[in-house]
Amino acid sequence: MARISADQFKRGLTVVFNDQPHQMTDVEFVNPGKGSSFYRTTLKNLKTGRVVDFTFKSNESLEDYEVYTHEMQYLYNDGTDYHFMRQDTMDQHAVPREVLGRAADFLVDGDVYQIVMHGDEALGIRPPKRVVLTVTSADPVVKGSTVSGVSKQVVLDNGVAVAVPGFIKEGDKVAVNPENGEYIERV
Amino acid sequence: MTTRPTWQRLHAQPALLPRYLLRERIIRAIREFFYAQDFHEVETPLLVPVPSMEPYLEVFETEFEDVRGGRQRAFLTNSPEYAMKRLLVAGLPRIFQICKAFRNREDTGRRRNPEFTILEWYRAHADYQAIMADCEALVAHLYHATLPAGGAPPPPGAPLLLRYQGIEVDLTPPWERLRVREALAQYAGLAIDSVWDRPALAAEMARRGYTPGDSPWDELLTQLFANEVEPHLGRRRPTILYEYPLPMAGLARRARDPRYAERFEFYIAGLELGNAFSELADPDEQAARLQADQAARRRLGKKEYPVDADFLAALRTGMPPAGGIAVGVDRLIMLFADVASIHDTLWMPGRELFGPATGEEL
Repeated sequence: MARISADQFKRGLTVVFNDQPHQMTDVEFVNPGKGSSFYRTTLKNLKTGRVVDFTFKSNESLEDYEVYTHEMQYLYNDGTDYHFMRQDTMDQHAVPREVLGRAADFLVDGDVYQIVMHGDEALGIRPPKRVVLTVTSADPVVKGSTVSGVSKQVVLDNGVAVAVPGFIKEGDKVAVNPENGEYIERV
Repeated sequence: MTTRPTWQRLHAQPALLPRYLLRERIIRAIREFFYAQDFHEVETPLLVPVPSMEPYLEVFETEFEDVRGGRQRAFLTNSPEYAMKRLLVAGLPRIFQICKAFRNREDTGRRRNPEFTILEWYRAHADYQAIMADCEALVAHLYHATLPAGGAPPPPGAPLLLRYQGIEVDLTPPWERLRVREALAQYAGLAIDSVWDRPALAAEMARRGYTPGDSPWDELLTQLFANEVEPHLGRRRPTILYEYPLPMAGLARRARDPRYAERFEFYIAGLELGNAFSELADPDEQAARLQADQAARRRLGKKEYPVDADFLAALRTGMPPAGGIAVGVDRLIMLFADVASIHDTLWMPGRELFGPATGEEL
């Protein structure tokens, strides 16, 4: 197994820490006193989502947790798992909802997504920055609300409810961030 | 991932301006505070022939050309310390400075920028106890100076409550004072007297799941400290952590117990804000430490440069006993602005100018 020495630490690395796969979400080089230097890291457990801080000495290293990003086509949801097909091998994979997070609500049948894998195990999705959807049900327009400022709930054509500004009406197309379900703008 | 430059974000969201203008309010209030106590403000060079001898910090090097084309090495300062100590020798007993310090090869993490603003002050004929009292009074002064304009001031005697990243801290002096030895016992359950020798400490660290490797004693203790003690400091009240084991205090004078040195740091809501010493005035001891640090730079493959002979000459002339401290001004601004990243306090963060680190994934 390849090891990554502390001076190679950087944000985005996937590593084994305490026998669990983690992603390094922050790293800071610190030298608190005479003759010593350290790497203060923030590590997110890829299985549980738990975040821990740990300070490493400069002579330490972590085992590389190899991940690959594959282009995968979304097929269907069987009620429990979300099924994808790898574009290069045509292998099918069932991905649990926890791995996809909020992005699961915004998957479109037949579209291709970037799925992060370790061997045969899906670890996460890199969803698009925005998806455009149509408002299928909305309360009437609130008078005078022309500026942004989120003020009401609408339902989109994928069945998901999102908070939008008062001027959005039924039939409007809106851009939403699939990672957190937040409204971006009217299209 | 590229982010929009700060000036564009401010253009689009003027509501963000007061947060950035806190920098101006804090710097002005620092000056008021020291002027009111008969300190002189000094300005020492940012461009120097020899920078401070820090084993692990990389420096920015440039070249000085004289009018006839003669060339010599020149550096951007990483600390005003040696220059200010010469002014103590020159006869200024109370001095402060707000200046830029530069560090090369730094990461672009939440608390780092290639240039940052540093506040240093020195008091002759005083020790680090006097500097502790300065810190308490300065932060209380900044608290009042940064209250929202137009609001009612807090009634006299009311706690100075500050919320930073969800942690509420009462800044009212006196702060908690905790010896390193006491902090280790309280938060890490470690009796320092049982681990003064390296094998004992390495065994204890291994038992706790660390990998001691061949690291020296001070590095091991600092790691344990960073992971098990630091997260607890300055949570409800600021903490002054003092009396460091001698191997952890480069430029400090020995304490009465010779295993310790008169160094302190202070922490507010998890942020480490300042590092202070009863300054080492002994020229021979200082020369030996500078040479050891110079050898460490060579070993670590850092840029090599000579020991600052003029600084040592000043110590030989005779530096009065003094207490001094370096405080990160950007971190003070982060604290009062309640932002987690230094980049949210800078008008033009370095990473907007130079981009993220090579190969950095976001």
